[in-house]
Amino acid sequence: MSKRKQQQLNDFDDPEFLSFAKSYLSEAFPNPQRIGCPPDSQLQQMAEHPVEVRDAATSDHLTRCSPCFNRYMEILANLKRGKAAGQ
Amino acid sequence: MADDDSAGVPRLNSLDRHGRQIAPEVFAAAEAVFSRALRHGTKLLGDPAVVVNILEEVAATVSQRLLRGDPPGEATATRNLAGYVFRAFVRRVNRLKNKEHALLHAVIARSAATPKSADPSRQFEMQILLREYLARFSFEEKDMCWRRLEGYAWDEIGKLQGISGHAARERLRTAVKRVKAELAEKKGKKSLPSGAQAGQNEELKPAPRTDVKKKATTA
Repeated sequence: MSKRKQQQLNDFDDPEFLSFAKSYLSEAFPNPQRIGCPPDSQLQQMAEHPVEVRDAATSDHLTRCSPCFNRYMEILANLKRGKAAGQ
Repeated sequence: MADDDSAGVPRLNSLDRHGRQIAPEVFAAAEAVFSRALRHGTKLLGDPAVVVNILEEVAATVSQRLLRGDPPGEATATRNLAGYVFRAFVRRVNRLKNKEHALLHAVIARSAATPKSADPSRQFEMQILLREYLARFSFEEKDMCWRRLEGYAWDEIGKLQGISGHAARERLRTAVKRVKAELAEKKGKKSLPSGAQAGQNEELKPAPRTDVKKKATTA
């Protein structure tokens, strides 16, 4: 890969960073009491049609709650699979 | 087990390393292909002693099969015993070589799977960056980030935002650049006297983005 191309890449193209980020967020914030967790339907809505005014707090919550982050990743994966199957 | 003669060249033994007897006719056949087998095996496996052991094992296995044959002990069923022993030897060497390759690949795959971030300083750096990104990204940027973490392609992300995959990628790249620039600026300010750090916490808020159109409230 050329140096120019490398400079154009950001962390969100770097498999190492992506893998670290996913594993970090999925474990670093255990929330056994599920304090402040949004309902599953809200995560589902955000995954299907993200709307800032409605979902900003939910999105912020994902940055500090591993169970919700993991659930959201699951929902996104299901959504992706569903879209792929529908194509 | 393989013995060495006085010149250091390994030679065949009538017992293999498991103590199994090699039938005299099979031993003769193995002797006939010995130099060819040694050349071929050494080329692939490297160690002549290992090669001789393998040939002995093959010869012992062939001997047992001959003894189990019908009628028992009838060696004439195999017309070209030397060729048969050599082919069996080649198969065994190839199997070992494949196993060696598989092991090597497994080791390489394992070391590749071990994140380079096993380096604690790199891990720490990525952790800081990730936290800063998530604290400073706008809603749309964070949404892109979640989807990238789940393995979405840029095209899929762009489609959701109503832009091209390339535009989506550029947007997140710009956001990353912006956060890194803010961090660099913050680092520069930290080196100033403490009085100059007033209001530093305000920098931790996500930078306001004027170019982002807020989405409609309809779900």
